[in-house]
Amino acid sequence: MITATLTILGPLAAVVLILLLRRGASALALLGTAAGLVGAGFALAGMANGARYAATLPGLPGLPLRLVVEPLTAVLSALVAVVGFLVVVYAVGYMKVEDGKVRSFAQVSFFLAAMQALVLAGDWVLLLAAWELIGVSSYLLIGFHLDRPAAASGAARAFLYTRSADLGLYAAIFVLVAGTGTSEIPATFDVGGPSATAAGLLLLLAAAGKSAQAPLHGWLQDAMAGPTPVSALLHSATLVAAGAILLIRAYPLLPPGVLLVVGLLGGLTALVTGLVALAQTDLKRLLAASTSSQYGFMLLALGAGGPFGALAHLVAHAAMKSALFLGAGFFQHARGSTAFDHLTGAGREHRRVFLGFVVAGLALPGVPPPGGVWAEDAVLAAAFGAEDAWAFVPLAILGTLLTGAYVARALRLLWRGEGRDTPVAGASWMGAGLAALAVLAATLGAALPPLARLLGAETEGLGLGAVFGLAATLAGLTVGWYVSPGRLLGPLRGLAESGFRIGGGFDGLVARPALATARVLSVFDDSIHAVVLGVGRLGFAAGRASRLADERGIDGLISALVDGVRRLGGRARELQSGLVHKELLLAVVGAALIFLLLATGL
Amino acid sequence: MATLTVALIVGAVLFGIGLYGALSQTNLVMIMMGVELMLGAAMVNLVAFWRFLHPEVYAGQMFVLIVMTVMALEMTVGFGIATGRFRAKGSVEMEEAGDLKG
Repeated sequence: MITATLTILGPLAAVVLILLLRRGASALALLGTAAGLVGAGFALAGMANGARYAATLPGLPGLPLRLVVEPLTAVLSALVAVVGFLVVVYAVGYMKVEDGKVRSFAQVSFFLAAMQALVLAGDWVLLLAAWELIGVSSYLLIGFHLDRPAAASGAARAFLYTRSADLGLYAAIFVLVAGTGTSEIPATFDVGGPSATAAGLLLLLAAAGKSAQAPLHGWLQDAMAGPTPVSALLHSATLVAAGAILLIRAYPLLPPGVLLVVGLLGGLTALVTGLVALAQTDLKRLLAASTSSQYGFMLLALGAGGPFGALAHLVAHAAMKSALFLGAGFFQHARGSTAFDHLTGAGREHRRVFLGFVVAGLALPGVPPPGGVWAEDAVLAAAFGAEDAWAFVPLAILGTLLTGAYVARALRLLWRGEGRDTPVAGASWMGAGLAALAVLAATLGAALPPLARLLGAETEGLGLGAVFGLAATLAGLTVGWYVSPGRLLGPLRGLAESGFRIGGGFDGLVARPALATARVLSVFDDSIHAVVLGVGRLGFAAGRASRLADERGIDGLISALVDGVRRLGGRARELQSGLVHKELLLAVVGAALIFLLLATGL
Repeated sequence: MATLTVALIVGAVLFGIGLYGALSQTNLVMIMMGVELMLGAAMVNLVAFWRFLHPEVYAGQMFVLIVMTVMALEMTVGFGIATGRFRAKGSVEMEEAGDLKG
């Protein structure tokens, strides 16, 4: 258990140390993620020997926080640790020419710690907390270049989209906990009935937001404003993967109806974002659209009843996509931009980097030698084996075709043409990270059968799915290489380039309601403000009234008393005239009174 | 004929005239004359009470003699003040004599 918690505590310790020491950030982040890697490795080795761990941490009263290390979570944790470590290695080189080392390495480490917590969480509450933490750290990382308006708006957009979808997770957890009375993840799978359907659909909403599934895919394109290592991390094993991971972990919960929705949504996303990728004019935006598309494949596999296919594709995609992003970042430093116009011929100049890019790129659609073929086959096999194969198979085949096409297009644009290069600083660190990930992407296929044994899933042999998949891949690659997207997409091109933002974009789905809510809340807030101010004014008025009462009332009373006494004194003084006859009269009157008193017999 | 009642009526009339004189006059001499009349009325009463009620007791006569002495002293002091006032201010009008008023 201690080794497993190291995956969370290692990066977390790195965050604390980086923020305290404020120097050597890259070394500390490397150490922290390396510690996490070691922990994840030991945990995975323990799994292979049949060990299982679970820990209960003190949490809220009645809601303890649980960590579980079982084969699925250990594999995911190892995946996050490996990709995180290699990306940090790459970032050491990448950040040599960028400012804000302390901030970036602290945020990346924090991100990794939160992701590990999400992966290892055995409890919905802890999972939700980690989910929120990766949300906030992704916001920070996407908006890393604070001074660029594009980064700020991209970060805000990502935050708005994912936060709105996050409400689904909240509602789902509420439904599950209300239905079963516990927040332990496996225990809530028994909820059954309409609760399971509702929770499943709500989880799908949350996952679609995080994994940028249609129609919520727009934010991922704009999230490219962040630094490239961050993009690699977001797209491969962390933020975007969180949605798929959530659904893979909740797979036993999902009833068949929900699975069909999951699969169809994934398949449609694979198609739509595949078209978007084909039309992009920027390498990183192409890769971003491709990410949505590949997560669509995972949801497709999941919906077709193949959680192992989804997991295999997740693992393979993590290695491939991070390698592709790292390559893109290298070209970015070489040419100062990621637009294809500036990148022409970059591959020819940096052949070793391009080799890594090609290996990872070809693995993506599933060209046989690299490892992607296994994952792609797992997805296709799941699609063929599903009850609703009629719906899933065409989507999967078309998606594969599109993947091949846009990969071929990117490779062609990088290879053809001429361009001028600037020397790349930190090339060795960047190359090391890239090389390791490319090797992983190429060889991961060999690791899938033992992985399947570990998870207790059966792998099917290369059947009909593999043949169709390979045919689609090769067709896609050929089409992508020889046919320009303008001719391929025809009238759809402009639409696809903007990410299918029909009618002002899908902003209308999320941003406008969110803004409207914000306005209503603002009015509400203002009225509360007014009430508070009113209370304040009332207090002032009361104070003034009390002061007036003091001045006019008590002071007035006292001065009236004084005046009265003074006037009385004046009257009394008038009696003392000093005139003999008047005083004599007083004496007579007094004597008469005394006589009267005596006469009446008092 | 000469009874107690007659003597008392004479005394009361004298006292009334004296009181009126003392209160209405502004001249110090006239005021003192009023006071003399009131004292005289008091002595008439005292003598009448002694003569008609207790002729055998002499204390009544003694009382009248003491009052007469006091009257003589009062006259002496009063006219002394009047003379002094007249010498200093040229008038014995009491309306003007407010010097000691605070």
